Amino acid sequence: MSIPREAYQTLQSIVGTEWVSDDPAICEADRYCSLSSPSEEKRRPGCSIEPVSTEEVQAIVKVANRYKLPFVVTSTYYSAGTYCRKDDSILIDLKRMNKLEIDEENLYAIVEPGVVFSALQADLFKRGLCTFVPGCGGHASVVANTVNMGDAPLGWRYGLGYQRLLGVEWVLPDGEMLKMGSLSMSKDYFWGEGPGPDLRGLLRGCAGHQSRMGIITKIGVKVFPFVSEELEPEGWAFRSFIKLPPNRFKWYNIRFYSREDAINAMFELGRCEIALVVMTVPPIFRGVARTRGVGCGGFWEFWKDAGPKLNPKQMDLRVLLYGIGSDKRLEYEEKVLLDIVKEYGGSPREAPCRDETNFMAADAICANVVGGRFSSEVSYESINQAVRYSKVVDKITDEHRPPILQEYNSTDWVCPYELGYIAKMECLRMASVEDNYALQEWKNDCQDACAKGGAYALVPDNKVFGPIWGNYPEKEDKIRAAFDPNHVSAPG
Amino acid sequence: MLKVEEYKHQAATCVRCSYCKFPDLNYIKSSRFSRQCPIDTRYRFNLYSAHGLLHSALAELDGKLEFTPKLMDALWHCTLCGGCDIRCKRNLDVEVLQVIETLRCRCVEQGKGPMPEHKMLADNVKKSHNIYGADHKERLNWMPEDVKPAQKADILYFVGDPSSYRHPEIAQATARLLSQAGVPFMVLADEWSSGHELFATGQLELAREMADHNIKAIKDSGAKKVITSDAECYKTLKADYPKILEKSTEDMPYSVLHITEYVDQLMKDGKLKFRRRVPMKVTYHDPCNLGRLAEPWYHWEPKYEPPNIAVGKTWRRGYNGVYEPPRNILKGIRGIELIEMQRVWDNAWCCGYGGGVGTAFPDFALWTAGERAEEARTTGAEAIVSCCPNCKDILGQAAEAKKTGMKVYDITEIMLRAIR
Repeated sequence: MSIPREAYQTLQSIVGTEWVSDDPAICEADRYCSLSSPSEEKRRPGCSIEPVSTEEVQAIVKVANRYKLPFVVTSTYYSAGTYCRKDDSILIDLKRMNKLEIDEENLYAIVEPGVVFSALQADLFKRGLCTFVPGCGGHASVVANTVNMGDAPLGWRYGLGYQRLLGVEWVLPDGEMLKMGSLSMSKDYFWGEGPGPDLRGLLRGCAGHQSRMGIITKIGVKVFPFVSEELEPEGWAFRSFIKLPPNRFKWYNIRFYSREDAINAMFELGRCEIALVVMTVPPIFRGVARTRGVGCGGFWEFWKDAGPKLNPKQMDLRVLLYGIGSDKRLEYEEKVLLDIVKEYGGSPREAPCRDETNFMAADAICANVVGGRFSSEVSYESINQAVRYSKVVDKITDEHRPPILQEYNSTDWVCPYELGYIAKMECLRMASVEDNYALQEWKNDCQDACAKGGAYALVPDNKVFGPIWGNYPEKEDKIRAAFDPNHVSAPG
Repeated sequence: MLKVEEYKHQAATCVRCSYCKFPDLNYIKSSRFSRQCPIDTRYRFNLYSAHGLLHSALAELDGKLEFTPKLMDALWHCTLCGGCDIRCKRNLDVEVLQVIETLRCRCVEQGKGPMPEHKMLADNVKKSHNIYGADHKERLNWMPEDVKPAQKADILYFVGDPSSYRHPEIAQATARLLSQAGVPFMVLADEWSSGHELFATGQLELAREMADHNIKAIKDSGAKKVITSDAECYKTLKADYPKILEKSTEDMPYSVLHITEYVDQLMKDGKLKFRRRVPMKVTYHDPCNLGRLAEPWYHWEPKYEPPNIAVGKTWRRGYNGVYEPPRNILKGIRGIELIEMQRVWDNAWCCGYGGGVGTAFPDFALWTAGERAEEARTTGAEAIVSCCPNCKDILGQAAEAKKTGMKVYDITEIMLRAIR
């Protein structure tokens, strides 16, 4: 089996011979991406192609339809879950589509799928603007992440990423073009909603369509005013960070002696509408951060001693105060924070005025250092639900240990958004490379519990969630069939 | 070359996150210069990256993939700059570069590689002990008449092929600098190629021959310290020789210093002062082989404890390279204004010449250097300064091709102007 010669030649004529290949090595290298389920079979694509424009993407998709060839899309290979599930698929890699425009006055950026967050952020910082880098990493695609859930620690104040999605240029599974929002009326990405129903939900459904509904080739994404001071990197290697202006920012690490107190403080921070970042810090990740640059051996040398000494009842919050618009605002926020901390019996400790992993360089991948592999189970619900689910996951985890490694405390990361309205609960568990399948089994059990508990999972497993949630996959399939009559957009 | 079990373990530990394609994310200062890997940036297909090559290594080992034309193309276009390696090791324990080097060795073992141009280098070395095939008797022709090397001294200047034959101005500046600083030094009467490109292109048997010869010659000379002005020689003497001998750097019968380390120490000890002004705005290019790849080699026999603890291993994560000495020197010269590029220190973008790429794929080497020249131009500097003859060579070509109007100097030339 292979891509028909005529189809391949047509693809060559679209992008040029340099940018399409059916060489087994090119295709083999496109077989995997990160964070994909180890138990799901990944097929080697029949060919890989690198378009540079929306017109080329459209033409490729039309070829796929003409010859009934499945296609799958990727751009950064990071965290996308976009791999081929069928033989003779066309792997469409959008890395060359990396144009980026910033409209400073109207506070939005137009980005193509090859643009990553850190690159966008760097250009925004120069203009006194910012975006929010997702926790998975600054090297994630802005387009892919934004049409997905788009969560980021800085969403405490400004909400989840999908809410920043504006005009969209969308190549449908049959190759037709759909422009959404104000873009449908003029060359204007400013506004996400347009005439008729808002179709952005079709792109997302929490986890995004992962190329099962065509290809987004360009989006407008809202950006935010930020400090005018240039944020300079300092340090280097594993100790690099962004220096924050101390008159505008202040970090606090706060230890609470019960989870209830920490959670109540979190709610109170939201009610008082202060801070830019609020999240729990699972102790093991404090360990990872503290031992960064010394590898697995160095981590365990530290953790085998420090881990058992942890008090399982306590919970740490990390809070970034932000003097939006003025130094006085920062003073006000600090006073309010310290009042709240006092009320709930916490111990605040001011941390250095710098940022390692939120503004530019989020890199959740470092969690792999603990054992070689990690898996995370993510859900979105209220803060209270996050805490409840956390306890359930802890219990499930104990049943899977070993091979899941001993963390000596909960590893659950509660990261609330929109001033505490919604919270992401991400449970990360680690195992060695060889025990990757065991992690998947743990994840399956967690998803089952998540569904029964009513939380809203990222990448919900249709088999688990479908029957509970009104058999939505059947309806989803009908929608997909309408958009994708030839069933070529990432089938499987 | 990694042993098979360790090779497989390292390749399998890659989590395929693609962080290897970027500089330290905190150090990205613009979208224009936001990438780290030259082959990824130019050729785009995932195969052209550490991510792709590590997966290919596993597939080749498992018999699922052969050395196809594209795999060969990606593998031999890699400049072995090590950006991927240290970026990955910021977070994880994966010997990215060693897997790529071993994949090259396997390609050579199977008779598929290296490139014809690399085989020619080996032929030249066999014939005349240098990669250019030049007359071995002319190796010391660069020596200026006003410099008289010592017959016996603690310091030995290891010159290397590029400065002996193609860039004698660097060897001359180094010799004059040492001479004017009052440092007695020797040169080897029978220096052979360092074997740098032989190591890089997986031609290990001949590389070992070069190592054996040069190590014996250094030992016989009685020198206590070996100084190089060539970043590639520096890394080869410091890391590749012990590596092929299955030793650690500290167990070698010599210690090696780059000229910038030596001069920096002389300045700190008050033994050398740059008295002349050199009015120039410069930017500094970190050679990969002097920066992130320049750490000492630590021999290690693979031994693991669960979950993934490499027992007794000292990891080379790129932060013990020679980054500060060249900068200290430039800052110590009156009139020099040092303006940094966006990607510096361990994040430096490769000049494009390394890994045998300058030899086999000069167009790609020039493209890569062109990216660096563009980056240098944005600083407003009038010159690029580096510490390696091949960096000087290719960056000089690129600066001209890009019409930057910038000059490219080796740091020894700048130091000589400041000391005269």
